Order: sequence, then C-alpha cells, then structure tokens
Amino acid sequence: MPAYHQMGHDSQNLLGEVSGFGGAIISPVNEVEAGVSAMVSSRSSNAYEFIFDPQLYFPRRADRGQLATWSYFPKDFDTADMTSETWWGTLLDALASTVGRVGARAVCSPATIAASMFTNEYYEAMRGLADRLTEFCARDGFRVLETVIARLPDLAAPNRALEIASVVSNTKAAGIYLILLCDVRPRDELRDVDQLKGAMRLVHLLEQSGLPVLVGCSSSDVLLWKAAGATSCATGKFANLRRFTPGRFNEPEEGGRLMAYWFEEPLLSFLRGSDVPRVQAHGLATTTTNPFGSEILAQLASDPAKAWVGLGWRQYMHWFADVEARLASGAVAARDLIRAAERNWQTLEDNDVFMEEKANDGSWLRPWLRAVVEFSKP
Amino acid sequence: MPADAKLQQVAQAICAARKLALGLEVGSGAFKHTFEVRAADGTARALKLYRKAGADARTQREVDAITRCSHPGVARFELIESWKDGSGEYVYSLEEFLSGGTLTARLAGGPLAIGDVRALALSLIDTVGHIASLGLVHRDLKPDNIMFRTAGGTPVIVDFGLVRDLGQSSLTKTWLPHGPGTPYYAAAEQLNNEKPMIDWRTDQFALGVVLTMCGLGRHPYELPEMNPMQVVDRVARREPSAPTFNAWAVDNGLAPLVGMVAPWPIARFRTPPQLALAWQSTGGP
Repeated sequence: MPAYHQMGHDSQNLLGEVSGFGGAIISPVNEVEAGVSAMVSSRSSNAYEFIFDPQLYFPRRADRGQLATWSYFPKDFDTADMTSETWWGTLLDALASTVGRVGARAVCSPATIAASMFTNEYYEAMRGLADRLTEFCARDGFRVLETVIARLPDLAAPNRALEIASVVSNTKAAGIYLILLCDVRPRDELRDVDQLKGAMRLVHLLEQSGLPVLVGCSSSDVLLWKAAGATSCATGKFANLRRFTPGRFNEPEEGGRLMAYWFEEPLLSFLRGSDVPRVQAHGLATTTTNPFGSEILAQLASDPAKAWVGLGWRQYMHWFADVEARLASGAVAARDLIRAAERNWQTLEDNDVFMEEKANDGSWLRPWLRAVVEFSKP
Repeated sequence: MPADAKLQQVAQAICAARKLALGLEVGSGAFKHTFEVRAADGTARALKLYRKAGADARTQREVDAITRCSHPGVARFELIESWKDGSGEYVYSLEEFLSGGTLTARLAGGPLAIGDVRALALSLIDTVGHIASLGLVHRDLKPDNIMFRTAGGTPVIVDFGLVRDLGQSSLTKTWLPHGPGTPYYAAAEQLNNEKPMIDWRTDQFALGVVLTMCGLGRHPYELPEMNPMQVVDRVARREPSAPTFNAWAVDNGLAPLVGMVAPWPIARFRTPPQLALAWQSTGGP
C-alpha cells in the first residue's frame, strides 16, 4: 500500500502538490469539521483514502486546538469515568457518525495514553474499544484500524512484542494503526537497537497474523518499518517534528524561526541549508530525480538567500512516498540503503566534512543496520 | 446420606416428575452429574444435575453459552429448570444424549489413522469457529469433552462448565496462579492466568494437543522420559514444541498442528477461517 500523509498544522495545501501518497490521516486538532469535510470532498476519489484519527490520546487542554469543537469530543472529557462502557458507547457512536459526515473511508479507534504502564489489561481495553467501534461502523462500511500505542522502551524486553501482539491481534478491526512512543528528544533519531528490534518484531508479528499495519508518525525510520513488513507508513512535513525550532536537535522554542531542511537519501539524514554546499563538494545533493529537490537546487544556484522551507517539506515528503514504494516493490532494500549511507558518512568524515548540527553524524545508522539484521532472530 | 446418593435421589425425583426413566450416571464433575434418561418413546436424553453451592455463576454461563450455540458440533439443549426439595435447591438441564461415546474411549484402542485425524480436525475446527464467533472460549477441550453423536459419527463438544464469555467480566481472580482448565491440554496463557491473552486461540491450542494425541499418541511438547507435569511445565514456560512432534506433523501432512500449538497466541492462526483454510490446504483423503 502507498504511503499516507499524516496531516498536521497548515498542511492541506500539500495534499495536491506531493504525489505518491495513497491517502491522508486527518487530524481534528488542526481544523474544524466543516473545513475537513470540504477538504475531503474536494479530493475524494477511490484511489485516495482519508483516515480519521480522533486524537483522544489524553490531550492536554493547551494541545487540543480545534478538537473540542468536534461533536464527538465529550464535554466531560477531563472529568469522565473512562472505565464506563456507557460513556465510551456514546463517544464511539458519535465518532462513527462524524466519520460519515466528513466523508472519510476509515477511522482509527480511540486510544488513550496509559497514565503509567502499558499493561496487557490496557491493550485489552483498547482492543475492546476498537471492536465496539467496528460494530458501530459496520452500518456504514468504514474500515476501522485498531490504534496500538507502544512505548519503545517497553518493546526492548524480549517477549513484550509477542505479548502485545497476542492481545491486540484478537480484534474485529481491519488493521492496526501503530504509534510508537519514545523517550528520545523529539527531533533526535531512534538508535536503541533492542527497542528498534522490538518494534520491528511487533510490526512483523501483526503482519504475519494477517493484520495490515500502518505505522503512524514515521520519518526516515520508514526503512525499518518497511523492512519489518509494514503495509504502510505515514509521515507529515518533516514528520511534524521540526516546526518552530531553530535546530532539529534542540528543544522547540516558541516563536523560533522555521528552518529549511534537505533530505538526503544517500546519508539518510535531514541536512540544514548550510550543510548542502558542504556535501555537494563530495558529490552528494547535486542532482536528484525529486522534482522539489531539483527546484531547491535551482533556487540555491540562482538565489541562495531565498527561503525554501516549504520546498524542503515537499522534497522530504516526495522522498518518503517514493522510498516507501521502492521498498514495497523490492526495488531497494533497507539494509542496502543503510549500508550505503554509512559508507557515505564515513567518506565525509574522512574528508573532515562535519554538519552544522553536532548530533547529525550518521551514528544512528549502525544501530539501524543491526536492528534490520537481527530483528527476526529469537 | 452421601452427597452422590443424594444427587441420585434428586435425579430420580426429577425423572418421576417428567415421566422419564433414569439410566446410568455417565459423567460427573466438580459442579454437576450427568445421567442418561429415556422418555416413554425410548428417546435418550442427558440429564445434567448441578450442585448449587458455589456453582451459580458458572452454571449460568454454561447454560447461557450452550443455549446460544446452534451447531451440529454442540449438543442440542432442550431445557433448564430449578428443582427444590426438602434438602435444598438444584438446577437441572435436559440435553441431547450422545450415544457414540467419548474421544477418550475411542483413543483407548491407540492412535487414529492420519485420515481420521484430519477429518476430526476439520469438523472440530468448524465447531470451535462457531463457538468463537459467539465470543466464547470453551477453555476445557480434551478427549473427555469430545463425544460422538453416534459411533463413528459427528464429533460433538460438550461440557461448557468452564466457558468464558469474552463480553463479560471474568470469574477467575487475577491473583490465582493459573486459570481453570485441564492443565495437560491448556495453553501457556491459561496455565499462567494471563487473562488478556485468553481468546479462541486458547481453544485452538487445546484442540491442537487433542489432535496430536489422536495421531501421535503423545503431547506435542513431550520430550523423551518426560512425565505429564514436566510437559505442562514446558508449556507454561513457553518452550518450543518437541522437534519429533514437529517432524511428525510435517511428514504426515498435518503441518497446521505446529502453528496451532505455538507458545504465543500471536503465532497461532488468528482467525478460525485462517485455521480452516490451512487444514483444507493440507489435502489428504
């Protein structure tokens, strides 16, 4: 299945501009119902699937955006007894109606973020919500994806992927929407081998059982999830992680200016604008089949001072959809891409080429390689 | 008066009231006794008489489960009523009487032919699939609880005394070291009382053990010189099934058995249709 566009703030305009996506995951946080309905109807086609994510992950009031304006969002969300089946029944019924009104063809089941531990009982309860939503949606024929939130540190334990997969797989839903939580800094790369192997094993087990997995909020780690057999992965502009921040390895700062990033497949890395000429001297980031990349290169040549943040988003997203398709078809293998990137980083280091951001050194690629090689071993 | 004699007396009284002839006691468990009874026209029935004390909730779930089932692989249920006499209150039911005996009795003559194992598998998988479609887990599949409608006829799953309705709260306490069931046929999640993992795949595991017993004559986790408790311990610790079992299953066209008895539910067949398809793909007579 093609990649999905994980919609975030102000990203509707990207829908029609970046090709290769098979659908989009709608976020009610960023838009009111009428706006989403209009967007869906303007792009509705059999080849493009809108998936509605109700975003009930215990959002803090400050993070809700437009969420509270949606009719399914309970007015008593902050005070309700969430163990009440009646309360959930009302919400699920309203959610199913909302999905129908906005014209989405699929919906992710609501899932809360566990307050402390993501126990088997927690997953059983979330699976129950997915099953009930499936019953509500059967009347309209929507595809329901069971939302599974897994903490990467939990998945480092040898049997945790087996346990989670065993519990969540007894579902009536048509597939799994997997959200991986991690405790690394938001813009850092994942690099704990055991965590990555556990996550890959979870994807693989679910796929092997016949449940298609859509990995949400992916980035360049799409390579790992596709290597594990994920049917689809989703991403947004810079994976929605690099907004309003002066550097991807720093914490976000309100009011910070937007930085432009170039995604370089031969390094499997996001490069600052100032890094692009550095690597070009060594044969990287010089030519590209990516139309947005070509546009950036042309602009850098003719008007280097002109901003290209928006083009950077598009260049990255075009790459994501393209590499997802190449990985799915077998035209490229994750292992080969990672090995090649590691060699390129070594070449840069041998030539004393260092990126502007200190942590941007390709050092996550060895853990990725190990994860890809070792994930299927017991 | 001994408890069993008292129950016999109650059964006699029920039969007199319903104009039935009381036959032999054909089974007994912790909560109930089963008698063969006959109507005036000679039709046989199974009279199940439930002990009241401590069994109310489970009895109700058993009755609820069996009345919801409508499948040739589950005994036909006729009625359930209360019975009260001077000594207390009882519950009894009348069900179809299965004259073909148990699978245990059939296995007394030794393992079955591979073709018979396959036929048994296809029939029982269909029944387990029906039970699963109702959100039920039998939790005590074993040769004693598989009977035949007639000699050599349709296999029928009986004794829903430990049935779990996944739509209702569990009756098993979380602090118990293991859930109810017969350990020798139980899956790891049942032995370890891992309730969120118990679903129809728990029955699938037990059925896999039963079918292996039918064809191979021993448990799929049994290693040489091992006693039954050691076998159960291996299952509980999620060690792999015995290599000799795996080879036997593959060599005899029964490869789906290996997946059925996988230690983790996720490694078994996820849905009954997937399981049925795997067995149909094995071909055979």
